[in-house]
Amino acid sequence: MTDDDTFDLRLRLLDRQVVDPDGAMICKVDDVELVPADDGGYVVTALLAGPLALGPRLPGRLGRWTVALARRWADGPDPAPRRIPFERVTELGSAVVLDRTRDQLGIARLEDWVRTHVIDRIPGSRHESE
Amino acid sequence: MKRILSVFLGVLTAIGGFVDIGDLVANALAGARFGLSLVWVTMLGVVGICLFAEMSGRVAAVTRRGTFDVIRERLGPRAGLINLVASVLVTVLTFTAEIGGVALALELATSVNYLLFVPVVGFAVWLVIWRLKFSALENVFGLLGLALIVFAVALWKLGPDWSEFLHSIVAPRKPATEDLSTYLYYGVALFGAALTPYEVFFFSSGAVEERWTAKDIATSRVNVFLGFPLGGLLSVAIAGCAALVLMPQGIEVDTLGQVGLPVAVAVGKLGLAVAILGFVAATFGAALETGLSTGYSVAQYFGWQWGKFVKPRQAARFHIVVLLSLMAAIAGVLTTADPIKVTEYSIVFSAVALPLTYFPILVVANDPVYMGEHVNGRLSNVLGTLFLFIIGIVAVAAIPLMLITAAGQ
Repeated sequence: MTDDDTFDLRLRLLDRQVVDPDGAMICKVDDVELVPADDGGYVVTALLAGPLALGPRLPGRLGRWTVALARRWADGPDPAPRRIPFERVTELGSAVVLDRTRDQLGIARLEDWVRTHVIDRIPGSRHESE
Repeated sequence: MKRILSVFLGVLTAIGGFVDIGDLVANALAGARFGLSLVWVTMLGVVGICLFAEMSGRVAAVTRRGTFDVIRERLGPRAGLINLVASVLVTVLTFTAEIGGVALALELATSVNYLLFVPVVGFAVWLVIWRLKFSALENVFGLLGLALIVFAVALWKLGPDWSEFLHSIVAPRKPATEDLSTYLYYGVALFGAALTPYEVFFFSSGAVEERWTAKDIATSRVNVFLGFPLGGLLSVAIAGCAALVLMPQGIEVDTLGQVGLPVAVAVGKLGLAVAILGFVAATFGAALETGLSTGYSVAQYFGWQWGKFVKPRQAARFHIVVLLSLMAAIAGVLTTADPIKVTEYSIVFSAVALPLTYFPILVVANDPVYMGEHVNGRLSNVLGTLFLFIIGIVAVAAIPLMLITAAGQ
């Protein structure tokens, strides 16, 4: 990535905006999945997003509540953060660009819920602004 | 030719959009009580907003990232979240003040109690945000806001001794009857009114909405460095009118009508009508900006799709945040808390929240990896750092001054 052999994960990857190939916003890099590499360093294998990834990074009670609420809302016995395999990443700049859209990745359930239950019921939600 | 026209339009909307309810109230209040002795604060504030609006616009043009996107990235999720909560609270308070301001201006025009207008104004704000194109929204209310030039006309007609007028601006002297702490408190309020944080959120997100690229940086600079100071002159004209008409009569400003009174005295009924049109446009335009800004801030922190450049259903969470903040603002006005008082508190709390927004912008505008050739120059850095220092002092002093002076009584 750089000629230098250190990469500042916190400064250059964590909390960056994730976008699709057209620049549509998908999520933030709420956390990353690290796997030890053979050379003693670490390799980023996936970007993690959503409240289950962000919660543990928030302080004290707020963080615990975020995680607890997200677990309650999730279906399935062992909910995990939304995971985006690092192979999906095509560019690392001021945003992290993926080769898939949000709908293809199927993340951000809250957006889908708000869309179907609230926004789509208001007239004009499918129109461009004039 | 088209290019020149669009630059010209940009400057005009920057002038007309500069003044909001905070500027109207703070400048009239300060002018009526302290004459021209606080105009220097407004001028200092204008320099500050120019510096930081230019920086945030440049960051947005180069990276397509809005201010809160950048704030979370640099401060991390914890400090970023505290910042988000504080900024959204201040912006919703400002939103409340703007909606109250529109309603008060309509009351001035019709003599119908302002509370009756609040639901209508609220619905109109939502409808415009839901349906109108970003550029249309910015241009229409920016241009109508130019009606406030009537304050400059009024000042001209009042015909002060100009050399004395300028002298009391450049060599300010606090009126002997006022305490130093009260003088400083109003200084803080004027500073907060000129530099309100939402203006930066709106300006940077607007740059993304209008799909600016590095090529548009020059245009943005013209808008900022020409439009904002000229808009600031309108603020000075409002203070000047109050100083010439209200101060000698010992009238203290506590209604919007008193803000417009000098125009009625100097230009007459028609002038007052124009001033009221200006009030409506300025406060309505600012209501749109503050409402959108809450949505921008929250969506950018969490990485959600935001903006009016996509259909509402593609930015569902963004529109929900805007809608919720609008409901909070309407509820706030309907508590019947005096909108002028709400405005006073909103600008003082703005002053407290300023460093939260301005510090991360300065840091990112300085990051060469991020900004490439458009990184801050030496002048921007020296002035930006100096300003951050001033902003820090003002933020720390604001609450103690508010307590000492019992909010400027």
